[in-house]
Amino acid sequence: MSSRPEIDRRTFMKVGGGVLAAGLAPSLGAEARALGGTPYAVKWYPFTGHPDSDTCWSLSVGPDGRIYAAACAESLPGGVVKPVRYNEQRDDLDYLFDLAEKVDDPGDSGRASQCKIHYSFAPSMHDGVLYMATHLSGPPIDLPVYSPWYSWHDTKRCFRGSALLAFDTRTDRVLWWDTLIPKEGCRCLLHDEERGLLYAMSYPRDHFIIYDLRSRKRRDVGRISSINPQALFLDKRHRVWTSSDYGRLVRYTPETDRLEISPGLLAHDLNYQTGWHSVFYDVAPSPDGECVYASTWCPNPRLMRIWPNEGEWPRVEDLGPATQLRDTSFPIDMYRDHCGGLTFGGDGNLYYVASRWRDSKYNPTPESRKQNEGVVWRLDPQTLKREEVARLEHPTGMAHYVSRGAVDHNGDLFFGHVGNHPSGIFKVSMPADRKRRNAHLPIRMWG
Amino acid sequence: MQTKSRFDRNSPEIKAYLNELAHQFVREGIMVAFPTCLPGMTTPITHDESHITALDINSEGHVYGGTSGRQAHLFGAAFHGLTGIVLDAGAVPGSTTTEAICCGTSRVIAFVNGPQGGRAVAMPHLDLAEDWIQEWGLEEPVLKDLGECVPGEPVVHAISAPSGKTVAGVTTRHLFTVDVESGVITVVGEAPGRGHLAMGHAGVFGQDEGTQLWHFDVASGHIRRAAVHLPDGEWAGPLRWARDRHSGLLFTADAAGRLFSFDENKGFRALGRAHLAPVGPMAVVPDGRLFGFCGDEMANLFSCDTVSGSFTNLGVAASILEQRRYGYQFGDAVTGPDGEIVFGEDDNGGHLWLYFPKIKGAISTPLTP
Repeated sequence: MSSRPEIDRRTFMKVGGGVLAAGLAPSLGAEARALGGTPYAVKWYPFTGHPDSDTCWSLSVGPDGRIYAAACAESLPGGVVKPVRYNEQRDDLDYLFDLAEKVDDPGDSGRASQCKIHYSFAPSMHDGVLYMATHLSGPPIDLPVYSPWYSWHDTKRCFRGSALLAFDTRTDRVLWWDTLIPKEGCRCLLHDEERGLLYAMSYPRDHFIIYDLRSRKRRDVGRISSINPQALFLDKRHRVWTSSDYGRLVRYTPETDRLEISPGLLAHDLNYQTGWHSVFYDVAPSPDGECVYASTWCPNPRLMRIWPNEGEWPRVEDLGPATQLRDTSFPIDMYRDHCGGLTFGGDGNLYYVASRWRDSKYNPTPESRKQNEGVVWRLDPQTLKREEVARLEHPTGMAHYVSRGAVDHNGDLFFGHVGNHPSGIFKVSMPADRKRRNAHLPIRMWG
Repeated sequence: MQTKSRFDRNSPEIKAYLNELAHQFVREGIMVAFPTCLPGMTTPITHDESHITALDINSEGHVYGGTSGRQAHLFGAAFHGLTGIVLDAGAVPGSTTTEAICCGTSRVIAFVNGPQGGRAVAMPHLDLAEDWIQEWGLEEPVLKDLGECVPGEPVVHAISAPSGKTVAGVTTRHLFTVDVESGVITVVGEAPGRGHLAMGHAGVFGQDEGTQLWHFDVASGHIRRAAVHLPDGEWAGPLRWARDRHSGLLFTADAAGRLFSFDENKGFRALGRAHLAPVGPMAVVPDGRLFGFCGDEMANLFSCDTVSGSFTNLGVAASILEQRRYGYQFGDAVTGPDGEIVFGEDDNGGHLWLYFPKIKGAISTPLTP
C-alpha cells in the first residue's frame, strides 16, 4: 500500500515550500521538459515575481485572448494575491498589480488578507474587462491561520469581504472595485454578459450571490448547502447551474428567482459512494453551447457531460472516473486524487489534467518516476475516447494538482497549478495541426 | 510591498488562539442534523421552503414543526424507538411563514402568515410510532384551515395552555384564543404582539409597550396590561423565551444578550451575558442548564448554568453524524424527553438538529484504560 501516509493539505503546502527553502532559483523554472518541437511540449512558468505565492487557483483566458492567472499567497500571514498575464512576446509572465493595494485592504491590515482569486476570473467581451473577485483563507499578518467561522463576529480579524475588481485589459487599468460579499470569500464567479449580472458562491456560508453591474448592488439569494461547489455555469436561457453537497444539480432561474435542486444525482462511483461530495470542481462549455463537461471535487473524481438545454432537468452522462483505481477503504488525500483544468482546444477536443500516483497494487510505477504525476488528457467529444497526450513536469516540485486550464488566442494550452513555492502555471504547446487562431472563442464566461 | 508575518508561534497567545480554533465547532456534546424526510426513502421539504421557524413537542415526545420560505410546510418528527423520521404533512396554501406550532391534546394547531393573512391551521397528530426500519403504514394527514385569526393582522406568536385544550395567540395588535378541539378562534382583546409568548403557571406573558409584559389568564380570559416590569436592559427587540419544565422558571434575554430568569413570584434575576447578541432559540435541559444560539448570520451555540449564571461559548454548530453540515441560523428549540434538545434550522435546506449535551460533570480528558 504505497499511498500511505497521505499528504494532507498542510503537508502539501509545506513540501511545496521546500522548493523555495532549498534555495532553488526561480530560473529553474526554465523549460522542464525540453521538448522543443515535440507535440504537447510542456513548460513551467513559476511566479518568481511573487515568490511568496503558493497556489494558483485561477487561470482563465481574458477577453483579449491572453492568459491571466492568480499568483495567490494563502499560507503566508498577510499574504496577498497578484494577478499575472502570460506575455507571449517575452515568453514570460507580467505581474499586473498587488490586488490588496488596489482595494485598500493591505496585507498588514490585521484582518484576513486578500490572498487569492479562486476560480473567479470572468471576462466581459464588449468592453475588454476582466472581472475578478477575491477569496479568503490567508491569515492576518500576526496570526498563523485564519478561520472564517471563528472570526466571523470579530471586527478586527474578520475578512473584510470578497473584493470585486474590473480590470480593463485594453488599458491595463483597474477601472473600479467594490465589495462583492461582505465577510466572505468568493469561491467561483460567472458573468452573464447579456444581462449585466455576475453570479458568485460565497464561502464559508455557501450562499448564492447576484451582483448587478449596472447598479453595482448585490443580492443574496440564500444558502445552497455546506460544501462549496467550485464552479458555476450558464445555459442558453440565462439559468445558472451549480451543485449541492449531495451531488445534485442546483439551478437558479432568473424568471422565478429560485434555487432549485435536481431530483437526480451527478455522477459518482456507485460501488461505494452515495453522491455526497460530488460537487462540481470544474466545468467547461462545449464550443457549440449545447452541453458542458464537468469533473467532481471528490475522491475518484468523475467526468460528466451535462445537457442543460434538454428536458425539465438535464441529461447527465457519466463519462467515468478521471483517475486511477485505488484502495477505497481509505479516504485518499484530495490533493493527490484530483482532476481539473478542463478546457476545449482549437481542435474541438476537451483537454484536462488528472493526477496519477504510484500505488503498489493499482499503479506500480518505478521509483524513477515521480510519486505523483499530472497527466494531460485529450477527450474526443464524438467518440468519448481518451488519450494521454502529455505529463506536466516541474523541475523539482509537484505537477499533479491543476486548478484551471484555458486555451489562449494562439491555441496553446495553459494550466494553473497549486502546491509549489513559488507557484506557477504550465504551458502546453499544442501541435500545429491542432491549433487555430482565436481558439479561445467562444469564451468561457466563468472561472 | 510584500508583507511578512508578525508573531511568535510559541507565544502563549498564539498557542491559545490555535487551541481555540481547534475547538471552534460544537465544543461540548454532539449535534446531529436530521433531514426533513425519512432518509433514503422520501424527499426532504423543498430547499427554499424549509426554514424551520417553529417547533413544539407533545406528551409522547413527538416534535411538531413548521417552516417558512416560498411556502410554509407543517411536519411531525420522532427520534426514539424505531422512528427516526420527519414526516412532511404538506404545504399550507397561501402561507409563507410559520410563526408558531402548538401541540394540543387532540391535535396540533399551527399559525402561519402569508398573502391570505395570519391563519390558524389544524394538523392531526401523526402516527409516528411505526416500525420505520422494516415496514410502515399510515394515512396522509389532512390539514384543516381554521381561518384568519384576526382580520388583517399577521400572527406574531402563539402558545399552548398546559391543559392542551386552548391555545393563546397574538397578532400585531390583538390577543386571541383557539379551542383546540372545535377550532373556534376568539378575539379576546387588545394587546400588542412583539416577539414570542411565554407560558407561566396559569397564564401567558407577552411583550407589552415599553419595557413591560402583559399577562393573560387563560381560565378567566382576563388580560392585564403592564403586569410585569422588565428589568434594566435593552428591550427594543422581540423577546425569546425558554421554560424549565421542572421548576417552571422562565428565561429571556435582552437585545444585548443578557440573560434573565423570571419567577412569577420573585421576579427577574440577572444571569450572565452571551458572548454574542441577539440571543435566539433556547431550551432548558432537566439538570437546569440552558442551551441556545446567539449572534446573527453565523450563530454560536452557548450554554448557561442557570444557578451560577455563567456562560460557555460552545462554538458553531456542525453535524458529523447522519448528515455532514454546518449550522448557521436556528429558528426554534424544544427539549426532548431524554433531555436532548431539538433545534430547528432556519435556513435553506433546513434540518432538525438534535443536540445531545455533554453529561454534566463529565471531564473531557483522553480516555485511559
